[in-house]
Amino acid sequence: MQRSTALLFFRRMRVPLIVLVSAYSIATIGFTLMPGEDAQGEPWRMSLFEAFYVVSYTGSTIGFGEVPYEFSKAQRLWTMVSIYLTVTAWLFSIGSILSLMQDPAFAQAVRGARFRRAVRNYDRPFYLLCGYGDTGRLLTRTLTELHHPVVVVDKIAEKMDALSVEAHRVPVNGFCMDATLPDNLVAAGLQSRWCMGVMAVTADDRVNLKIAVTARLLNQRAAVYARADEAQVAENMRSFDTAHVVNPANEFVRRLRLALTRPHTYRLYQWLRSSPSAEVPDLVDVPRGRWVLCGFGRFGRAVYRMLCELGIEVTVIEEDTSVDGLPDGVIAGRGTQAETLEAAGIARAAGLLATTRDDVDNLSILITARGINDALFTGALCNRWSSGTLFRAAEPGFVGQPGALIAGTVMSHIRSPLLEQFFDRLEQNGDELAAEVLQRLAPDQVSSQPEFFTVRVSKRRAPALHALIEHGLTPTAGLFQRDPARPGKRVPVEVLMLTRGDEHHLLPPADLALESGDRLLVACPAKLARRLSGLVDNEAAAYRALTGLEPPKNFWSGRPDKAAT
Amino acid sequence: MNMSKVIFGFFVLLALTLNFSFFLGEIDNPDHHNVYELSAALVVGLIATIMKLGERSQMSAMLLASSLVVDLHLLAAVGVWVMSVHVLDVGLTPAVMASIVSLSGGALLANLLSVVLLTMETAGFSR
Repeated sequence: MQRSTALLFFRRMRVPLIVLVSAYSIATIGFTLMPGEDAQGEPWRMSLFEAFYVVSYTGSTIGFGEVPYEFSKAQRLWTMVSIYLTVTAWLFSIGSILSLMQDPAFAQAVRGARFRRAVRNYDRPFYLLCGYGDTGRLLTRTLTELHHPVVVVDKIAEKMDALSVEAHRVPVNGFCMDATLPDNLVAAGLQSRWCMGVMAVTADDRVNLKIAVTARLLNQRAAVYARADEAQVAENMRSFDTAHVVNPANEFVRRLRLALTRPHTYRLYQWLRSSPSAEVPDLVDVPRGRWVLCGFGRFGRAVYRMLCELGIEVTVIEEDTSVDGLPDGVIAGRGTQAETLEAAGIARAAGLLATTRDDVDNLSILITARGINDALFTGALCNRWSSGTLFRAAEPGFVGQPGALIAGTVMSHIRSPLLEQFFDRLEQNGDELAAEVLQRLAPDQVSSQPEFFTVRVSKRRAPALHALIEHGLTPTAGLFQRDPARPGKRVPVEVLMLTRGDEHHLLPPADLALESGDRLLVACPAKLARRLSGLVDNEAAAYRALTGLEPPKNFWSGRPDKAAT
Repeated sequence: MNMSKVIFGFFVLLALTLNFSFFLGEIDNPDHHNVYELSAALVVGLIATIMKLGERSQMSAMLLASSLVVDLHLLAAVGVWVMSVHVLDVGLTPAVMASIVSLSGGALLANLLSVVLLTMETAGFSR
């Protein structure tokens, strides 16, 4: 749909312009018809040129006086007529322009045109983000910190106003429009060749589904990340190859389960799937015993199911006893009251989880319960990002914020798609492996998050490694840990996983030979990321890193494929 | 009957007829070409242009383009007239008159195209 603001402008200005042209031509012609006298008293009439000159300065209210000769009575009469005519016409036209400028529809069209132009002019990878709630804001902040421009689309004008006053490192274009309309997404750059990914993170599943379908159909190359609260919607999205579907409740439960069963894996997972500035969480020690669960909403239900699977006894407190699927022995009432908590046996419980929809209630439950049982392990759901400060102050043993969960998961997927498989794999191994990975990545516990580097050993993605293999050398996984400038010295680079076919090797040994087609997940400090990509692209650097020697002369010219030609 | 269509057709046609009536006559004879006819042709041409502004279809884009050509030609003709008569004082010599009339002849062609396009559009519409 092509909408030009210039066309809109002229369409609205048609009548005022015609009035202006008519007024000028009537006034001009009238002047040439009025009898006058020249300096010698001879009869004289203005030519069209002189008349237009007089009208021009009269109409614009400049008024040079009576030129070239003093006017006759008739000419003065016509001057009066033309003054009222042309000045009125001008006022009418200028008034129309001003009212057009203030017209909300016109202002919207101008903003839209500016937005489309901005999106068209992108010349580097950007992400298209639909929905600017907690998740959207976190994603925008993280993506811009990684120097990716973001295009934000949301239906609510206030959110876009909030975005427009926020400061970001790279341009963020926000536009207030309905993301469910495909045309709007196209206008927002969905089909641009720089569109790396589309994120559907609105609070409405139907909207997210529609965006995911649209993105899949209109741009096959862009990865789609979507939030889905309902399991069926999530299944539906996965069925058409959505890159990553996040269900906040499932993600909450996954992390809680890790915290309960695999504390080290939990620390690693929580650390790498939070915002890049996050620190390694402390080791949680969850006591065994009975749990009290407050709130049986979407999160509460998922947590209940998980706890039952783990064979942990749970007492549920829920205010609304008409909720489907409530287990037997549910305590009716609000967890904020001490009596209710005591009725649920909080004094003898090992843990408490507050998962109601209300943040104040959740906090109140935590504080009340701790008052009764000091040794309680507490976990809470922090519904709104804005209450995060309060929850940090309350220091529960485990806290999950849906926006941060979704944003962290999506970001880790963007940083490396292999991380998902890495964690799946890690969960099948013992917890000690996670502890070792953590020890390697963050030996001092306060390290900032590593950069992830995903490489496929192929001629196109890793020409240097491919060339080494072609020349009969065997690059190993340890190649990345050697410094080409200082042979023999180990740099803090870790190969986390090597994927060969369907097999995933976690922390492959340094002497494992790489083969064509292998995929590697490498973690390194941010400042070494450039060096790593040099290793993959630059044959001489790769040779030096592998052998510790300079490549011999004519080594590369003896390349097998060249020798054949 | 649509009144705005009538007005639109009226101006487009009037621009052509006024242009033609100025063009008619010996090319270098100032007595055959009235300055009022030229100015009327210019004014009506301008109004026709404004009326065509802001239309979207391919046909109206062509109409607008031809109208702009008309305006350009007539403004050039008026410019030649003003320069020679009022600024340089050479008067309406046959050479000056010939160049003015030939410029208006160019405008006449574009005006003719406008009318033809409008007729085609109307004919297409009834189908």
